[in-house]
Amino acid sequence: MWSGNFKGAIGSLRANKGRSLLTMLGIIIGISSVVTVVSLGEGLKSQVTGQINQLGSNVITIRSGKLVGNGSGISGINLLAFLSTSTLTDKDVQAISKLPSVNSVVPLDFVGSSASSDKRQLDNIFVVGTSSKMADLLHKKVAYGSFFESDDSTNKVVIGSSIAEELFGELNPVGHSLKVSGATFVVQGVLEPSSGGLLSVAQTDFNSAVFMPLKNARSLTNGRTNILQILAKSNSDQLDIAVNDIFAALQKTHDGQTDFTVLKQYELLGIAGNIVNTITRFISGIAAISLLVGGIGIMDIMLVSVSERTREIGVRKAIGATNRQILNQFLIEGLALTLGGGIIGVIVSLIINGLLRIYTSLQPAVTIQIFVIAVGVSMAVGIIFSVTPALKAARKNPIDALRNE
Amino acid sequence: MALIELKEVSKLYGFGDATVLALDEVVLSIEKGEFVAVMGPSGSGKTTLMNVIGLLDRPTHGSYLLDGRNVARRRPNQQARVRRDRIGFVFQSYNLLARLSVLENVALPLAYKGMTPVRRQKRASDILELVGLRDREYFMPRQLSGGQAQRVAIARALINKPSIIIADEPTGNLDSTDSKVVMELLADIHRQGNTILLVTHNPELTRYANRVIYMHDGMIVGDEQTAIGNMAKGARRTHYQKRKVTDDDIAEGVSALMRDVPGKELSAKARKPRPRAKHKKRSAKRLASHRLKAGSRQRREKTRK
Repeated sequence: MWSGNFKGAIGSLRANKGRSLLTMLGIIIGISSVVTVVSLGEGLKSQVTGQINQLGSNVITIRSGKLVGNGSGISGINLLAFLSTSTLTDKDVQAISKLPSVNSVVPLDFVGSSASSDKRQLDNIFVVGTSSKMADLLHKKVAYGSFFESDDSTNKVVIGSSIAEELFGELNPVGHSLKVSGATFVVQGVLEPSSGGLLSVAQTDFNSAVFMPLKNARSLTNGRTNILQILAKSNSDQLDIAVNDIFAALQKTHDGQTDFTVLKQYELLGIAGNIVNTITRFISGIAAISLLVGGIGIMDIMLVSVSERTREIGVRKAIGATNRQILNQFLIEGLALTLGGGIIGVIVSLIINGLLRIYTSLQPAVTIQIFVIAVGVSMAVGIIFSVTPALKAARKNPIDALRNE
Repeated sequence: MALIELKEVSKLYGFGDATVLALDEVVLSIEKGEFVAVMGPSGSGKTTLMNVIGLLDRPTHGSYLLDGRNVARRRPNQQARVRRDRIGFVFQSYNLLARLSVLENVALPLAYKGMTPVRRQKRASDILELVGLRDREYFMPRQLSGGQAQRVAIARALINKPSIIIADEPTGNLDSTDSKVVMELLADIHRQGNTILLVTHNPELTRYANRVIYMHDGMIVGDEQTAIGNMAKGARRTHYQKRKVTDDDIAEGVSALMRDVPGKELSAKARKPRPRAKHKKRSAKRLASHRLKAGSRQRREKTRK
């Protein structure tokens, strides 16, 4: 019965090819935009996750400012942390480095600046003040040269791959000099390009950063002593102990105030994921409106179809179709319409995703789940918006329907 | 026990002053195996009677027993099942579904019964063999001639082995050759023991029937048993109703032409009064013979009641 109905539905949709296709268009647009947005969100999430995971699971991030709430939701990150003066200092770094459960500590400070070589000038770069252990802790590979070995004030810097490309072009920059905010430095190493993302660990793109010892970075900013972020690595299986130790140690140096945040990697991950989720939900909510509009289009066309085929309904009833069977016929027709639209929509979104992968740095991730949900939603739209027309068809009086020309 | 028993079945349309009495306390019983032709002018209630018997319409009053069970007050879905299993329809305009092939059209009632596709197509194929259209199975309805389309429709009506086949002017859209083929087919089906109810305007077709019912203004005004092969006597009269104009008529003028227009009393007044029908409870048979003599005027008196 069902398969027969389905065949019949496809037959009657094919009888009005142009109309069916136009009606499906609403569903196609709705489904493809929702699927694209969701898979973009998924892609973003896995990009961020990948970046954070690069650090290793036993890296602890210490940030200035207190987390609002319990660390979930968009309010979890203090977005103003960059603007306000950080509360972290050298004392904190030293206190943490003394802890037995902590393997290594790296302070990070960010200074916006400009850089120039003999040939070219670059504005808007980041200077990252850090220590020699950073490359090790962040698993950063050095492509040419080496990372600086000493934290003492030397004039050595390590640069990111895109800076190297833009300032020195084809040249191997190792050994060349570089001016940052007027002071001259010698390039000692170039980092391998890392996958840039919107939400990288330090919310900066390491490819366009200049790394130098913390003291040098400070001299660029006239001796500001605060540190924006501290990364600590715990001994392999002492992550929780280390977090507690760090918390206790910092509270001591901060005179009992909790104006800092200690985050494990997966907590950071959760925050990033939450942000992406919120944005994804918001945009796909907007895209879902087109699905609603598409559904209304389906209802419209189904109503037209029912009144066009009044006579057919009359004949079917005369030869013994029950109301339910007529209802099913039209429900399945609406279902076929939206199911077709859903499947085409998924295919369209796959094409869009492919194009995004090729032409942008976005990496949309497509999962079976998204497909199942998309097809399910389109089927639901089909059923919901076909109920009224199908009921109208089912309730037609057989003689009136037969008399209809 | 009769196959079909209508007991004082009435059907009203509309409300208030606009009420139309389409069936007026019709009493009718049809035995299994009868071939009943129903005749009467347009608006006499033939089609309404067919719709009531075919369970497409509900009578306003009265009861309808099909095979001894009262079906007039059943719920729509139950009536649909009765239509599916016990009643076959043949329409004037064939009413085949244009998007389905001949085979699918014939098999459709079985689909509503829930039979599997293979079995129902096999059966449909057998029935098409019976009406001589086996080789047209995969044609679409628009590729068929009128006669072929009507035979397909008959095949569709037959497929559920119905108790009764209702044919509402099945030859109305056909030329005489196709009409003959279709009527011979119906006669064939009748010979195999089926009950057939045929609405027609063509008195020639009463030759196929063994009983002819005349209707007027929602009432059965005549009921005549005829031998198959003979044209019904009453039908012959209806035949000549589209009349030759005689010299007398010309002399009488317009009033003569109005004689056969229902509801107009001109002709009745023009002639001298004849004895009125005595009472309502005459046998149908007697009424019929009476009417045949009395002509159209008699009918009008009955209508006035």
